[in-house]
Amino acid sequence: MLKQTLTGARSLLTGMKVTFKNAFKKPVTSQYPRERIEMSQAYRNVIVLVEKEDVGSHDCIDCGMCERVCPSFCIKVEGERPEGMKRKRATRFEVDFALCSECGLCLDVCPTDTLGYSREFDQAGYGRNDFLYDLLIPYRDREETVRDTLRAAEAEAAAAKKAAVAKKAAAKKAAEEKDAAGDEAPGGDGDDS
Amino acid sequence: MAETMELVPDATDPKTYYLNMGPQHPSTHGVLRIRLHLEGERILGADPIIGYGHRAHEKMAENRDYLQFLPNSSRVDYLSGMIYNLAYCQAIEHAIELDVPERAEVIRIICGELNRISSHLLWLGTFVLDLGGFTPFLYGFDDREKILDILDSITGSRLTYCYGRFGGVTMDVDDEFLRRTSDFCDYFKRRLGEFDELVTDNVIYQQRTKDVGVISSDLIQDYALSGPVLRAAGVAHDVRKTEPYGGYDRFDFDVPVGQRGGDCFDRHTVRMEEMRQSLRIIDQALACLPDGPIMAAKVPKRIRPPAGDHYFAVESARGHFGMFITSDGTDIPVRHKLRTPSFVNVSTMPVVLPGTMLADTVAILGSIDIVVPEIDR
Repeated sequence: MLKQTLTGARSLLTGMKVTFKNAFKKPVTSQYPRERIEMSQAYRNVIVLVEKEDVGSHDCIDCGMCERVCPSFCIKVEGERPEGMKRKRATRFEVDFALCSECGLCLDVCPTDTLGYSREFDQAGYGRNDFLYDLLIPYRDREETVRDTLRAAEAEAAAAKKAAVAKKAAAKKAAEEKDAAGDEAPGGDGDDS
Repeated sequence: MAETMELVPDATDPKTYYLNMGPQHPSTHGVLRIRLHLEGERILGADPIIGYGHRAHEKMAENRDYLQFLPNSSRVDYLSGMIYNLAYCQAIEHAIELDVPERAEVIRIICGELNRISSHLLWLGTFVLDLGGFTPFLYGFDDREKILDILDSITGSRLTYCYGRFGGVTMDVDDEFLRRTSDFCDYFKRRLGEFDELVTDNVIYQQRTKDVGVISSDLIQDYALSGPVLRAAGVAHDVRKTEPYGGYDRFDFDVPVGQRGGDCFDRHTVRMEEMRQSLRIIDQALACLPDGPIMAAKVPKRIRPPAGDHYFAVESARGHFGMFITSDGTDIPVRHKLRTPSFVNVSTMPVVLPGTMLADTVAILGSIDIVVPEIDR
């Protein structure tokens, strides 16, 4: 009985020693609205369309890969091929964040790497329809100018390609002619040396 | 035994009565309901009624391709989501015979072991909370928070990770991650000593757990139990040791076993020791983290495991987690069966609980460490 009491008292004191030591430590909680902790670089939230420098806007080409891979079926993409352009441009990109599970598969499959994570963290709403995000909103007003630039760039690239093809063809033709000339004059190789 | 397992025992006996423990009881950790047949405080029969957290993960797997099941995997068991997520990746890699770069393997092991510690910490906190001790719960959550922050820095999530991909992992670890992990290991070794002083050596705790809820090795064989419950009964079986996967054979660690025949206290000591062993593995992994890619060079665009049955098992924080995938050679599995350890553990309750007192039910149920979504799937 006495032994039991002593053991009990010792275990009680040991426990209290631990709590006593910890009582004087700095609190581990952070007072949220007044202080904020640093956000992780890898933080995942709703997806956004990232601005690409070479395009001056998003670079969504409406390939539909993200729409197809999404396990929650929460992405809707539509697009059109603008007049005089080869590549498509998205005209609608909607995400229902209420369904998203932040797996990041859409980012993995995006061929133009134009998808990224938003840095928002405090979304709140009164209904599930409050989480329908239209990702094209920041890019709508400059879409026409971007299309013009892209069209010009495409035309330039096409012209350059055409010129390159023409140049190659000319070079080939010249080489053929030279070969033909070489055939006509046997031992012509020796003339050069 | 037969009369205790009967679903409708003699209801006319005026001395006995039924009590529904759960689905909202705080100590059932979620939505598990146990129908207890009581005589006073003595338990005559117990009948776990499951299915309140059923989310049809197995059925969902049959309706989507292999990649699309990825976010589901960590939601099967939200307390050790990383282990389950990586296990699913490893199962598919095993089926399609895809080799993972060494760096990705070691990163997976570090993350998996961190997740195991966080899961055991939460178990320790809530188990002691069920028995009436509030302080270890707060301390445990503080330490678990550190692990969640570390994992958050590379995965972007805190609980339901989707970090693994077929052939590797999504994001490489940086020096900051390695520094924080090794700092945590040093800190947590000291902290485990505090937990031992506070919990393991506590007389009240010992009286509540010693010789309570003995799950013997005979019963374990009948029910195919696994994990800490199995090891507490004295059987040194750990999938990481017996069937090494994902590079675990490169690391040196021990499999702790219980010394008292499989009571609640044994299950506690086994888990405490497992956390120490996990720290050992992390220390070794940090020391030998090789350079190189984190994704396999050639990952097939369409995942089509060869037709037939594929089985892959890992040691999760709760035990032997196995995935049985039947493929017909197409993009979508015919059957994806998840063998979850909590389901097996909770199925022994009709045998273990009768004869004990109502207060011990809380201790026994807590000590087998169930996660209800993992039981129901």
